[in-house]
Amino acid sequence: MRLSIKDQIGPRCIIKEDGQKIYDAVHGALQNGETVTLDFEGVSQFASPFFNFAIGQLLKDIAEADLRRLLQIEHLNETGRLVVERVIENAAKYHGDKDYRKIVDDILEQQAKESD
Amino acid sequence: MAQKVIQIPTLNDSPHDFTRLFGIWNDVNDYFEDIRFDFSRCGFLRPNAVAFLGGLARLVESRMGSVTFDWSTLHHGAVMTNLCQNGFAGTFAYPSSRWDGNSIPYREDKTLDMNGIMDYLTYNWIGKGWVHVSDRLRDAIAGRMWEIYSNAFEHSGTEVGVFSCGQHYWRQNYLILSAVDFGRGIPANVRSFLRQYVREALVSKLSGAACLKWAFERGNSTCTGGVARGLGLDLLKEFVRLNQGKLEIYSNDGYAIVDKDGERFENRELAFEGTVVHITLRCDENLYRFRDEAE
Repeated sequence: MRLSIKDQIGPRCIIKEDGQKIYDAVHGALQNGETVTLDFEGVSQFASPFFNFAIGQLLKDIAEADLRRLLQIEHLNETGRLVVERVIENAAKYHGDKDYRKIVDDILEQQAKESD
Repeated sequence: MAQKVIQIPTLNDSPHDFTRLFGIWNDVNDYFEDIRFDFSRCGFLRPNAVAFLGGLARLVESRMGSVTFDWSTLHHGAVMTNLCQNGFAGTFAYPSSRWDGNSIPYREDKTLDMNGIMDYLTYNWIGKGWVHVSDRLRDAIAGRMWEIYSNAFEHSGTEVGVFSCGQHYWRQNYLILSAVDFGRGIPANVRSFLRQYVREALVSKLSGAACLKWAFERGNSTCTGGVARGLGLDLLKEFVRLNQGKLEIYSNDGYAIVDKDGERFENRELAFEGTVVHITLRCDENLYRFRDEAE
């Protein structure tokens, strides 16, 4: 499967709604083990909400190694690649079940130290 | 109907100036009658003040109050010229149209207008010729700045939108962009998010500075829904550091600054309901190249 992002979205990959469109288009194929190529030829502007939804979200049910093997990204410039790498790294370690009690305790402890 | 007169002082962009702006917000907030802004004591207004006052006027109007900018009290020619040039005066009933100059237009976004905002950032702000950048780098910088608007619309719950203004200071050779919303504020959002998991008594102890610090960490987000987020501020601060510029955020009772000395978070006495993102970028062209771009 090959998708021209410029044809699907336009020259700006910015908002999460557009990211969701790409996710919806490729998720099934990737889950079936098919190779998907996203062609960014003609796309010049990028922001994290787009990639969070287009690519980061795929890691909910596809292992990072499988995603890296099956998802081919072409003609994405250095800026876009950096954002994609951050998004994958962030999504791979994302857990919805963080221990927020501990997080708050740690922040309060730090806050107390700073006010001493 | 009683009219409340608010004196607009000279407003720069130091923390002290922001305190004065938040004092004006405090005077106007919950006052549901007519407000008149008087400029007779104003000798200078930076873009942060322009964006803030414009947003404040819309906030009052959204609460069925009315706001008048009393242009007859503005005697300082340079301030008037600037407010005409950036379109602020024309937006608020002064008979003038904006024109191109060192100012970056005053802008109101009631909703998240992706193309409008990206055009503003790409062509009116970074791509205006203040600094010679390749199209590729211009596009990259505009993408990083987009994160400000994305965060404001997605997290703040602002009902009146986001207000922006900027300026190029040719003598100091830096470029400013200020974006203001009158939404809940980042610390309020962080506390509200954490309350889902941790009891109120503990969460309410979190200071504004601590909440901002949490929000600045990569991967931390108050969004729910199973999609990893929390990269916007991280990408923005990374760019500001590379540029040796300055990113300041005032939100509720917190203040964050990222500059050449690192990241600092402080608590402020006067809490303001909303968020101001104020970015100062250096226009030194040596700071505006990709690694693979030749000098």
